Amino acid sequence: MPIETVVTGLGTIGPYGFGREALAKALAAGKPVASEVDRGGGWHREGGSRLAALIREPDLSRWIPPAAARRMSFPSKLAVAAGKMALPDAGIETVASEGGRAGVYLATAFGPVHNTEKLLRQIFLEGAEAAQPFYFSECVANTPAAQLAIAVGARGPNVTIVQREAGPLLAVGRGAQAVREGRVDRALAGAVEEIPPLLHALLGRFGALAQAEEKLAEQPRPLDRRRNGILAGEGASLLVLEREDAARARGARILARVRWSGAAFDATAGVTDWGTGHDALAAALRAGLATAGGAAGISMIVSGASGAKRGDLLEARVLKAVWGEAPLPPVMTPKAVTGEYGGGILAAGLLALEGKALAPFPEAPELDPEIGFSPHRGAVPEKRARVLLTGLASGGAAAWLLLERAS
Amino acid sequence: MPRVDRAPARPRTVVVSGLGAVTPFGWNVPSTWNGLRSGKTSIGPFDRFDHSGYRTHVAAQVDLARAAPRPRGKPARISLADRYAVCAAREALSQAGLGGGDWTRRAGVYFGSSTGGMLENERYFEALLAAEGGARRRLPRMSILAPQQYNAPGDAVAREIGIGGPVQTVSAACASGGMAIGDALRAVRSGEVETAITGGSDSLCRLTYAGFNALRSVDERPCRPFRKDRAGLSIGEGAGVIVLEPLERVLARGARPLAVAAGEAATCDAYHMTAPHPLGAGAAEAIGAALADAQLDPGEIDFVNAHGTGTPLNDLAECEALASVFGERARELPVTSTKSLVGHLLGSAGAVEAVATILCLVAGEVHPMPAEGESDPAIGVQLVLGSPLKLKRARHALSTSLAFGGANAALIFSRPRPEDRDAD
Repeated sequence: MPIETVVTGLGTIGPYGFGREALAKALAAGKPVASEVDRGGGWHREGGSRLAALIREPDLSRWIPPAAARRMSFPSKLAVAAGKMALPDAGIETVASEGGRAGVYLATAFGPVHNTEKLLRQIFLEGAEAAQPFYFSECVANTPAAQLAIAVGARGPNVTIVQREAGPLLAVGRGAQAVREGRVDRALAGAVEEIPPLLHALLGRFGALAQAEEKLAEQPRPLDRRRNGILAGEGASLLVLEREDAARARGARILARVRWSGAAFDATAGVTDWGTGHDALAAALRAGLATAGGAAGISMIVSGASGAKRGDLLEARVLKAVWGEAPLPPVMTPKAVTGEYGGGILAAGLLALEGKALAPFPEAPELDPEIGFSPHRGAVPEKRARVLLTGLASGGAAAWLLLERAS
Repeated sequence: MPRVDRAPARPRTVVVSGLGAVTPFGWNVPSTWNGLRSGKTSIGPFDRFDHSGYRTHVAAQVDLARAAPRPRGKPARISLADRYAVCAAREALSQAGLGGGDWTRRAGVYFGSSTGGMLENERYFEALLAAEGGARRRLPRMSILAPQQYNAPGDAVAREIGIGGPVQTVSAACASGGMAIGDALRAVRSGEVETAITGGSDSLCRLTYAGFNALRSVDERPCRPFRKDRAGLSIGEGAGVIVLEPLERVLARGARPLAVAAGEAATCDAYHMTAPHPLGAGAAEAIGAALADAQLDPGEIDFVNAHGTGTPLNDLAECEALASVFGERARELPVTSTKSLVGHLLGSAGAVEAVATILCLVAGEVHPMPAEGESDPAIGVQLVLGSPLKLKRARHALSTSLAFGGANAALIFSRPRPEDRDAD
């Protein structure tokens, strides 16, 4: 009997608020939860993007005592709060007694980048001796995962994966593998990100962000003909992963089974862009799905499409190549609401299995002939049996996650 | 001596078929090995950036005048860390006898980096600050920032080789390289990939140099791990790359395995962001779990390539961990620290030290640390000092990486058994 990994808890924090109900509400409303970025630094390109999916003054004191919070970067706080939200959602008070049998697998694209900026300002403007130890220790990419481990007492592997848009799915895949192979009994797996103004401005200067055009409001339009960039977003989403037999033995509610996870690379991609190697990526996805019942049993795709011009086209070509002549299942694009980064796609994938994730597309889609299909819009009428989550990263990495209902 | 619970039998033996290195000793494995054997440190004055305003003035830098050819891509979009990574990967693949071909579809890259292209990021940032202070806000060219990402070195390797399988970069500070190799070992064992190109790369940068100075963790002199007067680490740069494959695959093409990648494990202290657990509890758990993974008893380990940073707390905690795993035998266990010779390579430290560990196994000797200085009497291990230690037995070796945030990684490499060395 193979060991199965299941998801038993979810903690999510984003511009939509705290927890799955807040996210479900935002996805149902189908509008990007964006707000104005502080452009006072003068780094933003004129006429460029003004919005991001930002978390405004969150009160995290339910999860983090103030004395501990002051020693944490913003991403560390988000990760700790989401992790401490996920554990009780799974019916678990703490993993401290399990110690080395509990691991953390966390993805981030940029890490605590605001502290990096502050530290560099001190070094360059005030001199190296002015550098504050706090900014250094809390600018390293793995500090959110480490702070989470300290907060919940997780002494197993503490892994921070930095693979841009593919990171969240890779992190869950790695966590599920560790549970399946018996290296850990439980894993907290997910993603965290912050979007301070300078990072937002630089993403805009790279041409990555959605922006207003003539008669077109600034918003992300995944897989749509009019798409012109992503909505940068911050947040944290953590899943609790454990063995299915152990979860059932303790009477836990099972949110999903991790049926398969896989990854590949498109070597045609540039350093900061997507490539054209959809055939090879499709072959990898097809081969992986074949080990898990094939594409035919998938009833919904929670797509990582974000509004990026080349990224969405690559995503569409991969999916079309895998499904071939068969009709594609409904393709949901939650990043239209949550923005890119922060693991909102993980939480949305779970909600999709529960039948909660409603049409997260902000307006009537316009078909892009090159893409050949539009994101699903409208209510999801029934619970979904199998949901494929996709994540294609700029730079070439790709990751997929197949979740299924376990009951 | 404590025993460990062995893991169940495994179906696949994973071996090392190629090594690559870029270190302050040179742009390849032979120059690195010669430097390591010399016992003379490469840590000293450096000029990668202006450090006149810093508290300390030594580091171990790679000589760019002897640089290898650049990898593919636009020069502005390739960081120094990318160049180190690609150069080391090319060397490792060449030794493994893997050229271009179909194998890349079933191959993956598992890399570690703590700062990626931070050096180039800093150049952009410096120009940005100048623009902020100037009358006209002309911001610097964005291409400088392109390789800024943590995942850039691993991606650059994958792009250079044309990898089709999984590509994953771990950023777990100073344990990044060790953890990446551990992930790669798992991936080959499980059949996720047939070939794993794994390791790490980092370059010197102001952020880490100033940051460790701010923590007062950097020694003003070249670091002296396990010495009585040790006063901190020395930062270095470079890359280490290892090719991992199933034994049968290497033998099938007539190649010879250099070593067996026998075991790995990772743990977290969950204790403090910048200080190790004083008893090295997390490190001991990682070593014990790696031994179990390798199906070895502590008594079978013949030497240790320690994390050995030279900071007072880390060295003590690490020796506590060794004592708790190896018991009384720890006092006779040969221990060396590659960091004493090439500095602390941060995200690539675990990778370069894994390369060094394998080279020691192949040579049947442990590379020394510099002879100068008095050993700390509180350090209960046998330090290898001054000249290489010829081993009576070189069967199994342990390499440890202990990081910021309490992340620990332990790797065990073994000499191939006679029957593993060729197809006959």
